[in-house]
Amino acid sequence: MKIVILGFGAVGRGVARVISLKKEYLQEKYGLQLDIVAAADRSGGAIFAEGLNPELLLKTKEETGKLSEYPDYGTKGISGVEILQKVEYDCLVEVTPTDIEDAEPALSHMMQALEDQKDVVTSNKGPLALSFSVLDDTARKNGVQFKYEASVGGAMPIINLAHDTLAGSNIESVYGILNGTTNYILSRMAKEGSSYEQTLNEAQELGIAETNPTQDVDGWDAACKIVILANSILNLKATLKDVKVEGISNITPESIALAKKEGYLIKLISEASPESLEVSPRLVKEGSPFSVEGTLNVATLKTDLAEDVTVVGKGAGSIETASAILSDLVNIWKASK
Amino acid sequence: MRLNLVLELLDVPGQLLDVLKPMGRLGANIVAVIHQRDVKTEEGKVPVQITIEGDEETLNRVITDLEDNEIPVMEVDGVLRREKITTILVGNIVDRDLKDTVSLLNMLPGVRVADLDLKMSASPEKSASKIVMEAQEGIKQEVLFKIKEIGELKGLLVINEI
Repeated sequence: MKIVILGFGAVGRGVARVISLKKEYLQEKYGLQLDIVAAADRSGGAIFAEGLNPELLLKTKEETGKLSEYPDYGTKGISGVEILQKVEYDCLVEVTPTDIEDAEPALSHMMQALEDQKDVVTSNKGPLALSFSVLDDTARKNGVQFKYEASVGGAMPIINLAHDTLAGSNIESVYGILNGTTNYILSRMAKEGSSYEQTLNEAQELGIAETNPTQDVDGWDAACKIVILANSILNLKATLKDVKVEGISNITPESIALAKKEGYLIKLISEASPESLEVSPRLVKEGSPFSVEGTLNVATLKTDLAEDVTVVGKGAGSIETASAILSDLVNIWKASK
Repeated sequence: MRLNLVLELLDVPGQLLDVLKPMGRLGANIVAVIHQRDVKTEEGKVPVQITIEGDEETLNRVITDLEDNEIPVMEVDGVLRREKITTILVGNIVDRDLKDTVSLLNMLPGVRVADLDLKMSASPEKSASKIVMEAQEGIKQEVLFKIKEIGELKGLLVINEI
């Protein structure tokens, strides 16, 4: 299977690494050979029809910061869309930085690939949160696969779990902790009794929170993810602007202490049901599956037949997120046979 | 027929007797009383399990009588009659008239504020209060929604249960 990787940040590099790590495993277990026929970042890209060397891609990126410096096959300034028009491939792996204002350039990349009847795998929340229906319809119309397990909850399986494993059960609502940064901050505040500002600083020093933490702490990252789940699992035609969003910046040590006295923790919960679509701080019982600490993600599917099904997993991380992308690639491969 | 009740009583002398006496008077036969004083609720009340026997009419009369006397009947035959709803409000609570907030909650049909806890912060707009309510079974979602409305009205952050 020939793949193009657009975007070579933490997730893109993770994908190259797992492809290299799992080369023999995939060959033996599924008869799957993944050839990276092109890879691109901001600087340009590298193209080679017989397959680029994932280790060399990683080395080039690490040493020069630019994939266009890839020996012999690097091209400066070539855009993602140009690459897609030029290269023979089966599946696009879209992992460019997410943009929640206009979803670009990822949205154009995905539309180009889908209209060219190529499968698409992505971890990119922006285009899904803003234009889910368009992407989904285009994929259907062109008879290709569009998979995005990595966009919600990183390594935590939720979308394919709902679609495949729980097939036959009607899923009535979904709720979960879908942002690791805020969960880390709230867990630390509960443990240390520290203030929000202090704990955010600590998280930034540890690299858990970004220098500009707004998307996480104001709830927008979680909102993107709940929109994806609402569309994909509950068939609700929602976009980001339909979500009621309240972040964690007003959570005080006093409120956490009061919650604790009653046996509760405060967590940033995303919820989707036909009645409500919201991200807000909520009370969860101590000792319940939702009392996870650190950067873990957790989600519960409320179903008619199986009742509640809850999953927990690593919500971020290069290799962890790449594992979800790999599972999508393997599933596309299995379905194609 | 038999009926298992769970009541919540104050841990003071005479309480249990005050509850049991009228049951006998109304014609119900008391089969068992399980009274564990070491298990207490958040408000310091003691859950008491009582099994009574009698015809349907008598048993219904007993329940009505208990409720008329404001004795909380938590469970009837394993089915919850009342459930607890906990919520936390963050913001300038005292300034936005805490008494009024509690009255607004008490005015919701089937809801009673059972406990209130306040934690002041150095900056008043960051104060927090915890409110525990008892509500009739089945109206929780509606109550949670109403609390949100009250919070929005008063500019307070509402942290509800899932």
